Amino acid sequence: MFYRLSGTFHTNYQADRKLWKIPADRWLVLTVFALAVLAPFLVSPLYLGSYVLPWIIWSAAALSLTLLMGMAGQLHFGFAAVMAIGAYSSIHLVRAGVPFEIALLLSGIIAAVIGAVFGAAALRVKGLYLVMATLAMQYLVDWVVVNVPWISGGAHATLRTPAVSFLFMDISSLASRYWLALAWAALITVFYLNVKRTSFGRSLVAIRDKDFAAAVIGVDPFKTKLMAFFTSSFLGGVSGAILAFCYYRAVTPEQFGFNVSIQLVAMVLVGGLGSVIGSYLGAGFVLLAPIFLTNLIAGLAASGWVPVSQNFLSHLPLVIYGAMIIGFLLFEPLGLAKIYDNIRKYFLVWPFRHARS
Amino acid sequence: MAYFVELLINGALTGLMYSLVALGFVLIYKSAGVPNLAQGAVVMVAGYAVWLFLSWGLPVWLSIPAAMVTMFLFGLVVERLLLRRMVGQPVIMVVMLTLGLEILLRGLVPGILGSAPKSIDVGIGFAPVIIGDVFINRTSLVGGIVALLLVGASLLFFRTRLGTKLRAVSDDHISSWAVGISVERAIGISWGLAGIAAVVAGALWGSSQGVDWTLSMLLFPAIAVVILGGVDSIPGVVVGGLVVGILGSVIPGYLDSIVGGSTRDVVTSLIILLTIMVRPFGIFGREDIERI
Amino acid sequence: MTWMRRTALSAALVAGLAVQAPAEEVKFGLLQDFTAVYTFVTGQYNQGQRDYLTLINEEGGIDGNTFTAIVRDTGNQPQRGIEAYNRAKEEGAILFDFLSTPVSAAILDQAGADARVVITPAHGRGDASDGTVFPYIFPMFATYWAQAANLVEFMKTNGGGIEGKKIAIVHIDSPFGREPLPILDALAEQEGFEYQSFPYASPGNEQSSAWSEVRRYRPDFVLIWGAGGGQAVSVRTAIQNGIAPEQIHSVIWLAETDAANVGPQMKGVKRFEATASGTELPIIQRIQEKVIATGKGSGEEANVGNSYYNLGVATMAVAVEAARLGLEGGEPLTGETLKAGFEKIAGYDAEGLMPPITITAEDHQGGGAGRISEWDGEAWVPVSDWHAAYPELVRKVIEESAAHYGEGN
Repeated sequence: MFYRLSGTFHTNYQADRKLWKIPADRWLVLTVFALAVLAPFLVSPLYLGSYVLPWIIWSAAALSLTLLMGMAGQLHFGFAAVMAIGAYSSIHLVRAGVPFEIALLLSGIIAAVIGAVFGAAALRVKGLYLVMATLAMQYLVDWVVVNVPWISGGAHATLRTPAVSFLFMDISSLASRYWLALAWAALITVFYLNVKRTSFGRSLVAIRDKDFAAAVIGVDPFKTKLMAFFTSSFLGGVSGAILAFCYYRAVTPEQFGFNVSIQLVAMVLVGGLGSVIGSYLGAGFVLLAPIFLTNLIAGLAASGWVPVSQNFLSHLPLVIYGAMIIGFLLFEPLGLAKIYDNIRKYFLVWPFRHARS
Repeated sequence: MAYFVELLINGALTGLMYSLVALGFVLIYKSAGVPNLAQGAVVMVAGYAVWLFLSWGLPVWLSIPAAMVTMFLFGLVVERLLLRRMVGQPVIMVVMLTLGLEILLRGLVPGILGSAPKSIDVGIGFAPVIIGDVFINRTSLVGGIVALLLVGASLLFFRTRLGTKLRAVSDDHISSWAVGISVERAIGISWGLAGIAAVVAGALWGSSQGVDWTLSMLLFPAIAVVILGGVDSIPGVVVGGLVVGILGSVIPGYLDSIVGGSTRDVVTSLIILLTIMVRPFGIFGREDIERI
Repeated sequence: MTWMRRTALSAALVAGLAVQAPAEEVKFGLLQDFTAVYTFVTGQYNQGQRDYLTLINEEGGIDGNTFTAIVRDTGNQPQRGIEAYNRAKEEGAILFDFLSTPVSAAILDQAGADARVVITPAHGRGDASDGTVFPYIFPMFATYWAQAANLVEFMKTNGGGIEGKKIAIVHIDSPFGREPLPILDALAEQEGFEYQSFPYASPGNEQSSAWSEVRRYRPDFVLIWGAGGGQAVSVRTAIQNGIAPEQIHSVIWLAETDAANVGPQMKGVKRFEATASGTELPIIQRIQEKVIATGKGSGEEANVGNSYYNLGVATMAVAVEAARLGLEGGEPLTGETLKAGFEKIAGYDAEGLMPPITITAEDHQGGGAGRISEWDGEAWVPVSDWHAAYPELVRKVIEESAAHYGEGN
């Protein structure tokens, strides 16, 4: 139907190597992007500020992480710490008088350097042991942030972000903050889509699939893994800075705790490892599902549908959320991206569903 | 000197109490190869179970066995319903599944039974054991002894007929099938045993801090214990527990007042990191993990 | 007191019919953490808040205005708190209580810009007491600094002087745990005592090494500064280290559940309290009679009269009083009028539930009074009178910190 393939012939390499080969996909992407850009005019500030904006930023963070986890196959349970490094460095840099644009870059580099140290563990172990090592580093970074008043901002451990402008655009209104975040998410997305087609991207995939084999064909596992951690931490650090400046605007250590790392991993896994659309869907799910469940159940309770105690009522979203994560892993281990893909494939050959796409 | 000895002994005993949490983790990992990051939450459930039976008026000596039966069944059910379907999936999926389970349990159990801390009294006295100028925490002392007994019991258990089967399963799933051992049953039983270990941990930790969801945070020190001792080694749990406990008590005992912050989590994190960098399979773990 | 309020109300009704604002539903956003860090208090606290609002509605509201609580769980996560805040704001809530430091911190500036009142009773940043810097934030009760000052003064008057004595402060290793340190510094200098801080790792389920050190410090008084399960462990480990329960003084977060956890040895432990506990108080009696007995209570009946329950009742009592004063001008309630109402509160004591508090445009702490109570094995028995300790010193710390906030922290 929509995804009609007939009439699209890829007669040259140029056409065959396009990011979105099927016109319907191109239109879809363009429409979604246009809607995203126009979002401040389309949705109320309530929805923009509490759903769309955090969703975009967390999607950027999930994309940064999926570069590492999905593409390079390196597990990371301390990504919130990387984002914390980015957030704190950007604020301190801006306060020290560095222009915001440069502070963003520098905070990304600082996060990348420290994040590459995280990666040092990956040079020796993988799988469960890498999970544990990155987990330990998350605790170390948390500890440093909490225990060094100079970093965390003194007695109340709260740092407010200074007023900044980005490329002469004042970043204070909700719309401008949203556009900056959107620009960053779009940039990461384009980067991610293209990195898959570079030699760097291919070597990451080679390392993920089998590092011995990769070494045999001349991919240096040491260098590639370190580069994977470096790149992903750079993106994560900038995402952390964006999160601080565009969304929270007051940074506390709890915003980057261990549970946030778990949420990020959940975003990547529920969305589908290594998938772009999955990162967006996964971030949306992990971020918004508890919120919607809370509101839904509170609404049902108000109308007398769930006659249970307030205590159970407030725990119910947590139960459903946990059950949904388990459900996804059990029944669709490839995540929301796979579900999206199934739907797309269905329409690709609709109404001839026995045909192969 | 007495200060050092006191830190040493209390640290060692606390470490043994971490071993109780770690034991459940190792039992499951050994047979099923599943890193159960929900073990902290299982301890929490076990604590709630003990509290529930006590609140029904059962005496302690009956409540704890009753909780053990409950948690054994709980372990069986979790394995059957969730983990069995994950066989063959990459480790990250299993890790995330157990984390999802943790979220679920942390919502379900305090949601139904109440989230304010519950008190349980298992009849351990209050006064410290005093030797010279050294005060030893009685709860930790009981906990340490119980931990040693429990680890000893599990070592003996692995010499029984059923235990031998479990060892065979932990060696090789395929060969166990070939000689007629039901791998599924063995893995199920090891989940049940982990539930029993969790009851002991939940009762002891619950009696010292009260039962609420924070019991699940015992997972972090327990992870340090298993990494150091070796994820598939039962004696490693004791040795790992002792080291983690002692270092986590002696170093903060001298450093905290200088640093002005609690260094225990730093010590725990560094133990995990150093072990992984130097000897990833831990002190007693099997050396067959894939090195790079 | 009830008849007084009724007379006052009817007098206001008769006198002010001409300027009467149309009666409406006043919404309060109680967006708290029911599932994560603050579970030890939230359940009972929120129950008290909602029962009190039910009581007011049962009694006919304030000038016919009824009160509705919007209750949501934020799980202590700032992004969920921001969503819940925006949504409740859309629904028309004019007052918010988050009972969570990170969520409050994330909303502080926004609430000021939106002109919505945020109450931070007994938690949150102490410098928010400076109403000139934080116009819409109301700590209402004694901040942590006022609590520490009150505890130290109690040690001074009831422990036979404090000069030359040693205080050990054993605290959870977090910004909250370190909160009392600046005021202790100032007090130590002024009163000539010595103190040392002993941090323990969060969440505090194991503190033996800190207490081994405390014992060797040989303190005259011990101040414990934590929350939740860690508090019970602190008291236990202290007693096991030969520290008498009478020496132990606690921040406000020590309640009946902790006493049950520690057991009979808890007898003699003291804590700061901002509100009285027990059911023998006129407001609680009325709640028993009109809310609980008629089956309109929002939770377990056994919690009624607990420390945290009464604290919750007190917060809403102040908020409703502020709403009443805000309505006096004849305008409908908004964030602005409610704020003005708060700043008109003078000598309000919620019929003996709490010390009389007076909130002004400068002082949003309401005076910072409180008292010390002791666990007698069954209940918390007051051992000092309601009063504010070292008000000038506390004020100085508040203003210094608020000035620091103005610079960006």
